[in-house]
Amino acid sequence: MTQQVLNAIFIGSIYALFAVGYTLVFGVLDVLNLAHSAVFMLGAVITYSLVALHGMPFLPAAVIAVLVCGVLGLLIEFVALRPLRRRNAPPISALISTIGLALIFVAIVEQATPGTLFGWLWQDGANSVRFPAGTVPNPTYHVGGLTIEGTKLGILFTSVVLMLVLGYVIRYTQIGRALRAVAENRRAATLLGINVDRIFASTLFISSALGGLAGLLFGLAISDIGPYIGRDQVELKGLAVIVLGGMGSIPGAVLGGYLLGLIEVLAFVRFGSNVEAGVAFAALFLVLVLRPQGLFGARLRERL
Amino acid sequence: MRSAARGITIALALALAACGGTSTTGGGTATSYQGKTIQLGAILSLTGAGGVYGPSSKNGADLAVEIINNSGGVNGAKISLDTKDDASDKAQSAQVAQTLIQGGQLLALLGPTLSNSAVAVHPLAESFKIPILAVSTTGINIVPNCNAPSTVPCRYVFRDSLGEETAIPTNIKIYVAKAHPTTGVLMVANDDKFSSDGGKIVQNTVGQYGINLVDTVAFSKTTADFSAPVTKALAKKPDVMFITSLGGIPATIMIEARKQGFTGQFLGGNGFNTAKVSKQAGSAGAGAESGSAWYLDNTFPSNAEFVKAYRTKYSSDPDQFAAQGYAAILILADAAKRANLTFSDIAGDRSKLRDAMETVNIQTPLGPFQFTSTHDVKQTVWVILMDGKGGFNLLASVNPS
Repeated sequence: MTQQVLNAIFIGSIYALFAVGYTLVFGVLDVLNLAHSAVFMLGAVITYSLVALHGMPFLPAAVIAVLVCGVLGLLIEFVALRPLRRRNAPPISALISTIGLALIFVAIVEQATPGTLFGWLWQDGANSVRFPAGTVPNPTYHVGGLTIEGTKLGILFTSVVLMLVLGYVIRYTQIGRALRAVAENRRAATLLGINVDRIFASTLFISSALGGLAGLLFGLAISDIGPYIGRDQVELKGLAVIVLGGMGSIPGAVLGGYLLGLIEVLAFVRFGSNVEAGVAFAALFLVLVLRPQGLFGARLRERL
Repeated sequence: MRSAARGITIALALALAACGGTSTTGGGTATSYQGKTIQLGAILSLTGAGGVYGPSSKNGADLAVEIINNSGGVNGAKISLDTKDDASDKAQSAQVAQTLIQGGQLLALLGPTLSNSAVAVHPLAESFKIPILAVSTTGINIVPNCNAPSTVPCRYVFRDSLGEETAIPTNIKIYVAKAHPTTGVLMVANDDKFSSDGGKIVQNTVGQYGINLVDTVAFSKTTADFSAPVTKALAKKPDVMFITSLGGIPATIMIEARKQGFTGQFLGGNGFNTAKVSKQAGSAGAGAESGSAWYLDNTFPSNAEFVKAYRTKYSSDPDQFAAQGYAAILILADAAKRANLTFSDIAGDRSKLRDAMETVNIQTPLGPFQFTSTHDVKQTVWVILMDGKGGFNLLASVNPS
């Protein structure tokens, strides 16, 4: 059982990292960025391509991938969100346009042909390539009947540190204050001299970089990289996590991530795979009935 | 390279001519199809979960088409093969089949890659009376009861792929004879026909070999993180772990199980039998044992020639699915050769081809090939072990009873 709780914590930290970026955009822009799961997928795919096909060491490849994902965030802002905002389109239009971008991102990877950046897709089977063994050192410890993998510990550590850093940035720095001001009231923030467009762009950059990082860590820990990992593994779950935590709340997303990991694993152990997702979403439903604002959504007026 | 290819071409042409010669009816010479084209269609999973298999089937079939066309075709007719991707999706598979069938020009179909999709596609082909040859489906009731639970045999559905109902029990029998395991655990994807059928076969077989199935861990084919399922499976400390699942999942499970300290044996079926899975599993997969329809290093001529031609064309080793795709074209070519096709009455030609398929008896990379009376494959089972480096070693061969 202890092993299962460990399993839950590891997968939970990936959910949390993914959801933090997801919820950040919602908190600041009031828009659900459904391309986030596609960026998650690209984080893994780009890192894999650089490592496996271009022989790059893992760390620089990961840094490049995270930056590329950040830039993709800017693309989402400039292509899918800003033009609509200019026209005062309702949030639902923005949501739809992010779905469109997500489909395009997935299709690019899906349609990759041999010799291109994503040519690996056709070499090793469509939905399951993995980093070559030894990409990163992965010492496995066996302590008192428990199996603990080095990479998973690293992922836990990375996620927690990054989430703390993000929390610090938002609470105590100039840009963080600006973010919160925009989240609180866009017009008032503009009147205060905050460049709202720039804040939106930064938010998308940070959010997508985190999403890409979550994706590449997922690819590293779970050994499963392909065009559908975003859609299959985190899209709906991420949504559940941020609703569970309270839309727009970062601590809520973190807690929600770990909670969903735990609920899923325990449901699997107790009831089997047929009801795993069912139990997770039933828990979500229960939270919504009892606490419609989510676990951390109490002070609705103060977000992030 | 070129001369090797030409040698194979000639050998194959001779083989085909020999087959045709023995069974041609009428005037002793085959009807000439000079200037005609035998149009075939294939529904394969080139992307999605079946993307581990579909591209291999396509490569194998394309290679056979090329070789036959370069050696004078089928009584002079060229073969053309139109392959469509179904993205491993059942609904899309049916839609693609519908499109191909309604084109109206195809003599026969190959596929689909996954048993899950075959359930939708085969009844469609049956109702349109177009011969369809499954090249990789291994589930229960693919042939002859394509409309299961109806037990009316489907007349137009054939398969050249070895069913799990043969592969899995044969493998268990061979393993038990040498290792005498007492406990086992089954890991099965329960939302996919191929996988869940495999699971049922394991459950129905282990008892008679004295293996106590201590746990069955079911999961979804979209599962990515296998740490929880594997932890659950290993809790009962089984001697062997049966894995019946698709795509890269067997490899993922093996890697995870070894990480968690499992030292027992992996047993499986067709899900193990691609070099990709063996390669992905790496050292974690070493010794994993399965029943296979084909073995790379078999030296009988029909296989040696196939392997050589495949390596020349694709610069990589073929796998079981490539061999079955290749065999499928040989089967259809042999049947077409003997069917006295008219090339004007497509419905009549399809019916003639169907009849001729029932009496196919040729050499293929799989070994000597015939259909059973229920249109299933009658061939040797090759029991193979992953070598930990992306390949396989042959452990035993079991001839059809």
